[in-house]
Amino acid sequence: MKLICVAILFVSAIGLTSAELQCSQKELKIPKGWIDMVNPCVESMRNQIEEELKASMRYMAMGAYFSQDTINRPGFAEMFFKSASEEREHAIKLIHYLLMRGELTNNVSKLIKRNLIPSTTSWANGVSALKDALELETSVTKKIRKVIQKCEDNEKFNDYHLVDYLTGEFLEEQYKGQREIAGQISTLEKLMEKHGALGEWLFDKKLQGAE
Amino acid sequence: MKAIICISVLFFATLALAAEDYCYKDVVEACKTTTKKSVTALNCTAKYGAIDNLQSKLQRYVNHHFIRSFEYLLMATHFANYEKNREGFEKLFRGFSDNKWHEAIELIKYITKRGGEMNFNELSEGIRDEDKEEQDFELLELSSVAKALDIEKKLALEAFQIHEDASRKMNGFHDPEVSSHIEHEFVHKQRDIVRKLAGYTTDLSELLNGPDASLSLYLFDEYLQKQ
Repeated sequence: MKLICVAILFVSAIGLTSAELQCSQKELKIPKGWIDMVNPCVESMRNQIEEELKASMRYMAMGAYFSQDTINRPGFAEMFFKSASEEREHAIKLIHYLLMRGELTNNVSKLIKRNLIPSTTSWANGVSALKDALELETSVTKKIRKVIQKCEDNEKFNDYHLVDYLTGEFLEEQYKGQREIAGQISTLEKLMEKHGALGEWLFDKKLQGAE
Repeated sequence: MKAIICISVLFFATLALAAEDYCYKDVVEACKTTTKKSVTALNCTAKYGAIDNLQSKLQRYVNHHFIRSFEYLLMATHFANYEKNREGFEKLFRGFSDNKWHEAIELIKYITKRGGEMNFNELSEGIRDEDKEEQDFELLELSSVAKALDIEKKLALEAFQIHEDASRKMNGFHDPEVSSHIEHEFVHKQRDIVRKLAGYTTDLSELLNGPDASLSLYLFDEYLQKQ
């Protein structure tokens, strides 16, 4: 009886191995010389991906706040939700850049952690949210500049292409975006000087129309 | 005895009446010249039905969408590296990531439409537990589809759970508007995604059992690119 059992087990084990799917493929030997990015540049780029997503979630909190019925600023809400998605797009652009340079072949699972919960979730009014947004953009700009510095001032390798990309694409957008928000703060503050609620209400309708 | 019943009936009647038009009453009060005007004290919110009791589960559902969106982004990223070079799989998971992201935003808007607010800290125990273990999103082709199927089923069942809560007839939970919204915006779409992914696992597991798994995966990836 025992023998039969063992025999059955043996046969079923064979059955299992022969039904094994060929899920993985053989290791490849692709030349690696073309992959020329070095640390700490790579590491700072990887960190910047999460920074962009953190900024995204902070905008998300602003969108959620101004969507509430008791706040009722749909123009502000729409603008901040849009900014949230734009920040996410930045993160994806950085990912694509690293992939283009042959990076991100490992340790991808830890690229985005789950600590992106926004800390601030309410604002006194539209102006204070816009001021927060401007500060957020300023801090993102500073961080991008730090990445550029790490990738440029490297004895081993000056990453001209990445530095050009970050300067031309990212800093360009940062500076234009900052100017836009600063202008909005100025307009809204002037509107609200004598006409608090009316000023913000008008500004919100203007933002809605801008869509 | 009769008197007590009478009084209590009267009491509840006035309470019900008050509940019906308390916004108007507050406004009348606020507009009186003698009383101090206070706009914030008005009971004029968009809340009705069972939103207060359903809100936390909806908030969780938003956060779970964000988490899944990021996970799908990592899965897509892995397939886009030069070694994997599977554009079709990248497109599949990037699409899922985008969808979860936009659904989360829409759901935040929905919660606020019902007079609620968003809480980014709400997470289910199950999701919190996931975080305790090391997560792997650098997966093989078949495993990635399998993982996606599990994720989608979890999300689908979570929608059922919210629907169930909203369908309970007891006071404070019955909210046909929420259940209808869940049906239209989530339940049916999820059915199609689950079916599609289950079909992919069927195809892939048969293809990988054949003589040339590499060629099969290449062709399947080409197919995914055109989807």
